[in-house]
Amino acid sequence: MSRRAKLLWVALLLVFAGSLFYLRSLARRIFFEPPPHSDESAKARLNEAALQSDAGPNETAIVYFPSLNTRMLVAETRPIKWAPAEADRVRQVLLALAEGPSQRLGHPLAASTNVRAVFLTQEGTAYVDLSADLLSGIYPGIESESLAVYSIVNSITVNVRSVKRVKILIQGQEVDTLEGHADLTEAIFPDPTLVQGSP
Amino acid sequence: MRLSGAYKEKRLLSLNKFLKSSWRRILLSLTLLCALALLLWPARTLRSDNFVFYFPNSRHVVPLEVIENTKYLPFLQVLNLVGTLSGLTEKRNNLKVGFGKTHIELHAGDARIRLDKKTMILSAPVRVWNGKWMVPSDFLTTILPRLTGQDVEYQVGTNRVFLGDVKPGSFTVHMEPVNNGARLTFQFTDKVTVRTESANGKWVMFLGDHPIQPLEQSFHFQNAYVSDVRFDDQDGTPKLVITPSAGGLNFYPTLAEGGKVLRADVLKPPPPPSQTPAPSAPSPSTASAPPAPSSGVAQAGPAAPLGPPLPVVVLDAGHGGDDTGAKSRDGVTEKNLVAVLVARVRQALLVTGKFRVVLTRTGDVNVSFEQRVVTANQAGAIYFLTFHAGDLGGNSPRVAVYTFQSPGEAIASPESGVRPIFVPWSQVQEAHLDQSLQLARTLQQEFAVIAGVTADLPTQAPVRTLRSVNAPAVAIEIGSLSPDNDATPLTDAAFQLQLASVVAEALSALHGGGA
Repeated sequence: MSRRAKLLWVALLLVFAGSLFYLRSLARRIFFEPPPHSDESAKARLNEAALQSDAGPNETAIVYFPSLNTRMLVAETRPIKWAPAEADRVRQVLLALAEGPSQRLGHPLAASTNVRAVFLTQEGTAYVDLSADLLSGIYPGIESESLAVYSIVNSITVNVRSVKRVKILIQGQEVDTLEGHADLTEAIFPDPTLVQGSP
Repeated sequence: MRLSGAYKEKRLLSLNKFLKSSWRRILLSLTLLCALALLLWPARTLRSDNFVFYFPNSRHVVPLEVIENTKYLPFLQVLNLVGTLSGLTEKRNNLKVGFGKTHIELHAGDARIRLDKKTMILSAPVRVWNGKWMVPSDFLTTILPRLTGQDVEYQVGTNRVFLGDVKPGSFTVHMEPVNNGARLTFQFTDKVTVRTESANGKWVMFLGDHPIQPLEQSFHFQNAYVSDVRFDDQDGTPKLVITPSAGGLNFYPTLAEGGKVLRADVLKPPPPPSQTPAPSAPSPSTASAPPAPSSGVAQAGPAAPLGPPLPVVVLDAGHGGDDTGAKSRDGVTEKNLVAVLVARVRQALLVTGKFRVVLTRTGDVNVSFEQRVVTANQAGAIYFLTFHAGDLGGNSPRVAVYTFQSPGEAIASPESGVRPIFVPWSQVQEAHLDQSLQLARTLQQEFAVIAGVTADLPTQAPVRTLRSVNAPAVAIEIGSLSPDNDATPLTDAAFQLQLASVVAEALSALHGGGA
């Protein structure tokens, strides 16, 4: 084989290996990597929800974030334009939680969490169906999961008064627990005693 | 003076004569004295036992030594079992070993072992014993998994370790009275085969080849038929050894349900034919004991009360199998960490001699929440403790104790004050909340005494496992086990042993105080 042919073979091999590597990374991007979500995208979705509501004066929403140091929930306020429908208000609260705290507190919902559906019953139960991304924001543990659950439940019930309890579904399914600790089998009543500064 | 001098001389002469004439006797006496001294010398080795290593396709028995109440394993023999040595340099008090790509260095009398550039600390110092380098058994959990890169399952207190993909089975034991005897029912998680032999007045049932990790090593009974059942695999063969309470009993084992259930009847031998006409004169004891058989059992009366003599504490190691729970930065999983902790607590409780201990899971298996509760409620637990590890914020080690918080609305207390006959399965624990709180407070007070450990006040949390437990029940969470931290403070054997002993003290105090 001439020297030129050898060089050609080497070049061909390099091109082949390069294209294999490119195809592999392309396949990973398409099939395996979740769509990029960030705090910014949560914020954008929240703004979108607020704009879609198209009504209501500027009001204040109270959202609770877990503090593992104090083992309590810490309240933060957010200016918000409430949507007329209560189910949408629940959605707004959840998106505000996904946006994250302004202080150094825990994230009860990962920024990439999608609120798949919200249903309200006449008896005051809110069924919130969240995407499995929720779990990526919570480190497993009794304390961390309990605080995450109650930050969702307390935030919803304090802002949407007709909601008395919250049933959390994940990917449309009833689940036993978040990550093996906090009980999600029933609709959960709020626990105001967990809020920092509560009597 | 002369008399005295002559007397002394005479004595010396006689002694000299005695020494010369009976040197053999003296030698013999010295030998006997040495033997006596050796016999009475305070023993550092209390006993020698075997340790069984279960591999996917083989098993090996390794002799272990118990030195000053710590189990020791021969270091080089264990390494040779799990892999190949690539180098070995031994000096007087120092051993350097190459194992694959890892360089191991240990010193006699030092609890530290160097793995490449990392220093690991064992619960007891390395020893050179009878020319062998010996390491304490916690070497199996702290160092061996790092060396082999495969799962190593070892419960403290047991003498068996499962490596790689070995999934041991387990079994429960139940005893019930039957006509003229008692029936032992063994429910196995995997199929077994049974071969029975009789030896030294005991019945030995060989259980085939499948590795078994028993919930308890032995079960004690107080009745006229069986005094104890002991699991033994010291020679690598799993077997049950049944000790009858008296001689002359018959033993009838039968396998059922495809090999998953083993029933063993221990019966008194039938009366000789000459006694059969006796029922014509019924005795008062037969009449007052309806379950007693109609044949001549009047002399025995009804079967003695059966059952365990000690109260049961149920320990639940959270997660298991493919549910790993929380994970630390250095790769320690919650399921393994709490399994080790539970084994230590179990050992500490057994040492008190006040409790029987039942585990909801043995081995790396995923047991459902309901099955854990069923185990506790069926065992008639007086206390239920579920162990977890998770994110507890910054400080480590930190311990938190939780009682159950109903996620739903609390049960409205009936206006009449009468407790309902039927309690929903999901609300069983709510009847025990006061006692659970007392248990939690006692534990927390004990944890707070441990130096360097932050023990938070007990709180309520909707812990799924506690929901249906029909006993005072708490969840104990140690932390922080999260991807932001290394688990070193939590895997430290001293911390775990202290925690275990504190739990045992708290339960003993609570139980002794008539709680």
